[in-house]
Amino acid sequence: MAVINHIKEIRQKRGITQIKMAEDLQITRQTVNAIEKNKHNPSLELALKLIAYFDVPIEEMFYLEETKKGE
Amino acid sequence: MKNNKKWFWLAFVVILICMQIGGALGIYIIGREEGVFDYSLLLSMFQGTLGGLILVLLIMFFRKKRKPKLPEFDERSMLLMKRYFLGALYVVFIGSAAIVVTLALLGVETVEVGMLAVYLSILFIAVGMGALVTARL
Repeated sequence: MAVINHIKEIRQKRGITQIKMAEDLQITRQTVNAIEKNKHNPSLELALKLIAYFDVPIEEMFYLEETKKGE
Repeated sequence: MKNNKKWFWLAFVVILICMQIGGALGIYIIGREEGVFDYSLLLSMFQGTLGGLILVLLIMFFRKKRKPKLPEFDERSMLLMKRYFLGALYVVFIGSAAIVVTLALLGVETVEVGMLAVYLSILFIAVGMGALVTARL
């Protein structure tokens, strides 16, 4: 059950660049890219920071692949 | 953040003190071997360390200026490094065991310390280069 996220869509909708987001969250640009491509699952700490940064509910940002299929 | 800065400077001080101790030890060992304790080298040692420190601080300053707030290391880098070192450990263990077994099968009974030093140097360089590449991924 892979974790899928909508970070790229949310970020692009708000016109934030990867570099700006990396600077604000104090992570590398490579990490932002890896998370957006679902190659890396952020830690709980970073996931909570992401939710606070974009101010969206957790289920809007992250979901399990299986859950989505069932919908 | 404040705590991080404290640790950063503490690490710097520890490294510098260790360098001075290492230099002094080097002068002592050379003195013991050759019979002449050249303590004027202490000054060069101190100047060299100070020069190195200034160079490192300058590089850090210019890097910070170029990339204002972007960190070079984060949780993903840490995870990648952990995985890399775990893999490297297995490769080194299995590789070393394979070399020993091959040498034993070839009938080699003794190994020169010089050869061991070369082997370890190659190992350090290879693992170090891998770590540098992993940190940039």
